[in-house]
Amino acid sequence: MGFWSFSVFILIIAISAYWYGNTKALRLNSNSIEKLPSLPKYYGNYALIWLIFPCLLGVFLWITLNTYILDTILINHLPKELENSFAGGINMLVDRVKTINIDNPFPGTNPELIDAAIFLENKSNEVRAYFLWGIISISVLLCFVSLKKISFKFKARQAVEKSNVTLLILCSIVAIITTVGIVFSLIFEAMRFFDQVSIFDFLFGLSWSPQMAIREDQVASQGSFGAIPLFTGTLLITLIAMLVAIPVGLASAIYLAEYSSSTTRSIIKPLLEILAGVPTVVYGFFAAITVGPFFREFADFFGFNIASESAIAAGGVMGIMIIPFISSLSDDVISAVPQSLRDGSYAMGATHSETIKRVVLPAALPGIVGAILLAVSRAIGETMIVVMAAGIAANLTSNPFEAVTTVTVQIVTLLVGDQEFDSAKTLAAFALGITLFCMTLFLNLYALKIVQRYRERYE
Amino acid sequence: MNKNTQIIKSSLLKRKRSEKYFKYFGLTGIIAALLFLTIIITSIFTTGKKAFKQTAIKLEIFFDPKIIDPENKGTEETYKSANYKIVIKNALLNYFPSVNKRIDIRDLTNFISSSEEERLLEMILKDNTLIGTTKELWLTASSTIDVIHKNLEMLNITEKDRLIDNKEKKWFTKLLDDEKLKFQFNKTFFTSADSTEPEQAGIWGSAMGSFFTVLVTLILSFPIAVAAGVFLEELAPKNKFTDFLEVNINNLAAVPSIIFGLLGLAIFLNVMHLPRSAPIVGGLVLALMTLPTIIIATRASLKAVPPSIREAAIGLGATKLQTVTHHVLPLSFPGILTGTIIGMSQALGETAPLLMIGMVAFIVDVPGSFLDASTALPVQIYLWKSTAARGFVELAAAGVLILLTFLILMNSFAVYIRKKYEKKW
Amino acid sequence: MKKSGNLMSSKIKISSKDVSVFYSQNKALNNITFDIDEKKVTSLIGPSGCGKSTFLRCLNRMNDTIDICKVKGKVLIDNEDIYAPNVDPVLLRARVGMVFQKPNPFPKSIFDNVAYGPSIHGLASSKDELENIVLTSLQRAGLYKEVKNRLSETGTSLSGGQQQRLCIARAIAVSPEIILMDEPCSALDPIATAIVEELIDELVKNYTIVIVTHSMQQAARVSQNTAFFHMGNLIEFGSTQKIFSTPQFKQTQDYITGKIG
Repeated sequence: MGFWSFSVFILIIAISAYWYGNTKALRLNSNSIEKLPSLPKYYGNYALIWLIFPCLLGVFLWITLNTYILDTILINHLPKELENSFAGGINMLVDRVKTINIDNPFPGTNPELIDAAIFLENKSNEVRAYFLWGIISISVLLCFVSLKKISFKFKARQAVEKSNVTLLILCSIVAIITTVGIVFSLIFEAMRFFDQVSIFDFLFGLSWSPQMAIREDQVASQGSFGAIPLFTGTLLITLIAMLVAIPVGLASAIYLAEYSSSTTRSIIKPLLEILAGVPTVVYGFFAAITVGPFFREFADFFGFNIASESAIAAGGVMGIMIIPFISSLSDDVISAVPQSLRDGSYAMGATHSETIKRVVLPAALPGIVGAILLAVSRAIGETMIVVMAAGIAANLTSNPFEAVTTVTVQIVTLLVGDQEFDSAKTLAAFALGITLFCMTLFLNLYALKIVQRYRERYE
Repeated sequence: MNKNTQIIKSSLLKRKRSEKYFKYFGLTGIIAALLFLTIIITSIFTTGKKAFKQTAIKLEIFFDPKIIDPENKGTEETYKSANYKIVIKNALLNYFPSVNKRIDIRDLTNFISSSEEERLLEMILKDNTLIGTTKELWLTASSTIDVIHKNLEMLNITEKDRLIDNKEKKWFTKLLDDEKLKFQFNKTFFTSADSTEPEQAGIWGSAMGSFFTVLVTLILSFPIAVAAGVFLEELAPKNKFTDFLEVNINNLAAVPSIIFGLLGLAIFLNVMHLPRSAPIVGGLVLALMTLPTIIIATRASLKAVPPSIREAAIGLGATKLQTVTHHVLPLSFPGILTGTIIGMSQALGETAPLLMIGMVAFIVDVPGSFLDASTALPVQIYLWKSTAARGFVELAAAGVLILLTFLILMNSFAVYIRKKYEKKW
Repeated sequence: MKKSGNLMSSKIKISSKDVSVFYSQNKALNNITFDIDEKKVTSLIGPSGCGKSTFLRCLNRMNDTIDICKVKGKVLIDNEDIYAPNVDPVLLRARVGMVFQKPNPFPKSIFDNVAYGPSIHGLASSKDELENIVLTSLQRAGLYKEVKNRLSETGTSLSGGQQQRLCIARAIAVSPEIILMDEPCSALDPIATAIVEELIDELVKNYTIVIVTHSMQQAARVSQNTAFFHMGNLIEFGSTQKIFSTPQFKQTQDYITGKIG
């Protein structure tokens, strides 16, 4: 049974269930003086809910478990010799079997593997059939029971609304599940990493060279996982980005909120927001292709050598990306400063700029600080620009013209390509991930709190 | 006139001047930001526009029966097994009769992209009467020739820094002087997937990958986010749990995207064993990432519906849920749609989480479903940028232009909806 | 003591000649002409939207901060037209202080609030001098005793009445000649109102005060002269006593007796 025929099947059952519930309710209503407590359509809907929810749940379970079940069946089926003769272990073997096209196998493929692939195909069809039929029978059963319940005592509308609200709550909880998922997956893998490398070495070590860890002749020496160079690299790039973004963003915000006419504002604001809408990979490309070489030639001109991958190229371009975050948040914050304060200052004879510098900005300061903190958190977590323009060499340096690496760059470098979930190299990415998550989490919570409190003050 | 007036008057000029400077300071900020925007767009445009055209070489191709069908069988099998490289080689030698050394012949043959052999075969399969005839054709040049043709100033640099040596330069100049070279529209770029040769690589494969990914994202995130938004804004009681939920969503909106990639890798790939590199996993991860954006947009547009509408419905005896579904939700729909489009354009431009779940691979087939291994537009840009060979950078820039075009279209649509249905209550 | 002030010959401080104010196309004030005496309290009364606040804001060119607002006619202060092109609003506003409807202390310390004016205008050459100005202003505003131990606390931490007196202190710190008050007591409770009114009686010895008020009792209590505005027109102007006892016009009569308002 294919997925489409399954869907059509369920649809037909759904329509008839609704129709049956509806007509049964109508019949009851017309055959007696007593009336049902809810409109007939709610009885149809009630039956429908009992059909659709179990169906969705079943399909979700099937998608989640399908691969796992099939892999287990396949592993049990594959002969031991084949497993031993195949380089790369059992997981690679399973992947290999899955990629075989059974109708037209690549010439020279091991016939045993083709057999396994055919077996897998059959099993896959079988498992799917079990699942889909199982889902249908359970749903139909529940639907049938719910149709039986239609009576004068049964309040269908309340039941339908209750389940709808439950559905809404479940959807809201997805956000919590996501957070929990992030925290647990990161912690779980990071714990495995800290089994191999001490947390102290990780947080305070000065040398980062994870690639040594997978070299076979160096099983004993583990490679070094001191994350300090990554932290300093991240900080350096964030600092450069802020040096670009804060003055430009703040100046733009001040001009937009205080000086520009409403027409200029309505043109310039969307233009600035384009900067926020440009994907980060585009900034990365720009940094690597235009800005990096520009700085290199610039330095050549003054007679010293720098690499085209440098902290300043990545940080500068990241700063451009951050400008609209600071400008639009600060613009909101500055506009929220009550007019009465400005009037008070003008009435004293202050000029416009004196009013801005001495009354408006101090009043807006908490909000602006919140905006900057959010921007910092954004910069720390930014990936593509640094991956494309900052380099991967873990230099412990404060020279902006040197290549540095960041936490995010290392996560990408460690996880793109072959992954072995037993090696410290791969697991290190998760340790970096949880560090990154914690840093940004605290920044965000703090910043959001400041901004919130600021809003409450003036609203 | 009192003494203060005197004091103030004396400093007035200075204050007026600092007033002007401060205004210029603000203006400079705006100009700087807009300048950056212009520089980025022009720099990418000038690099990227080169990739939309490619060099072609005009040759007299003789469909030699001795090579294509020596035994005169006339079957497709024979045509398929023929070596069209020789056909092209002969055409070139015909034009450059003086070339005779084996190594020179090889270098000369490399002027033409290897994809053209396939093209000749297809021509024969379509019309086998061509065999034995001579035809003038524009053949796609290899990427090296393409690069030289696009940057003719490269001919003047010294031989060892140049992409082609002196004898190749001589051939090239002859072709150029005889007007045997032209630029043609690079159709391949829009129809094929990735390739090892820049002149054969295209954006279509990754565009389809992006399409499937964003489709999965939309299907998952839109209903869930709207449901969550409705619950939080309209139905949720004010208590610790909903406060927590709210903080959670706001915070999730600011979690770095790469963290979502790690989540996808750990849960969807390692625990649930979903297929690696597949749009369905990419879509799942991006759906989780765009959820907060759409939830926040939904809540904002629900909030914009005035309470009088709710009161009117509730006054008629509607339940809270009926009020929301019959009245409030339809009224706030344009706002929700705008938020959703913005969320989708974020998803379309997102790269980092897709790297984590393996959508960064060399994939030459155009994906046909949610489960096929594929890349996505931004990832393809990243891949091409990281490829050392010349010619790929232009492709990456062209890819950026395509990506930006999609984003502009999506965002204009969002703006259009917002303008059209904007209501002032 | 209230209306006994100085009934002797009084000098004209402000003179309004044919002042009209437009918001875009709408005329908010229509050819207002009258004189305001030096070192007296002049109150502007009238129903909401009659233009009394708009007129007040003409006197220190606060209307300049609103783009769509245009002023026609002349306002003479000491016989100089403040709308003449060579007059700088900064200088003007240092001479004409203003207190607003809602107390609006800056989110700074009490001291800095009062020191704001002198410091932007560079009126104090030393720190001691600045401190001197601040303390004198606070004393004159009758706030010094209440805040002397908490000068570094933020101005918003004071009570409503104290905040308004802080705003008055802030205004007099630059020693203006005129103080404009735009319904200064409308956000205050009766006790705080009484204190501010007493303060006005005290201040009028040194400053010319123009006060917009909603409350006729207040106008009667604090002012020597009263102008009655209605629908953008000045209906009647004269000594407070006269306006309240024998109004010349029916509209004034109706307003004072509560028929319109």
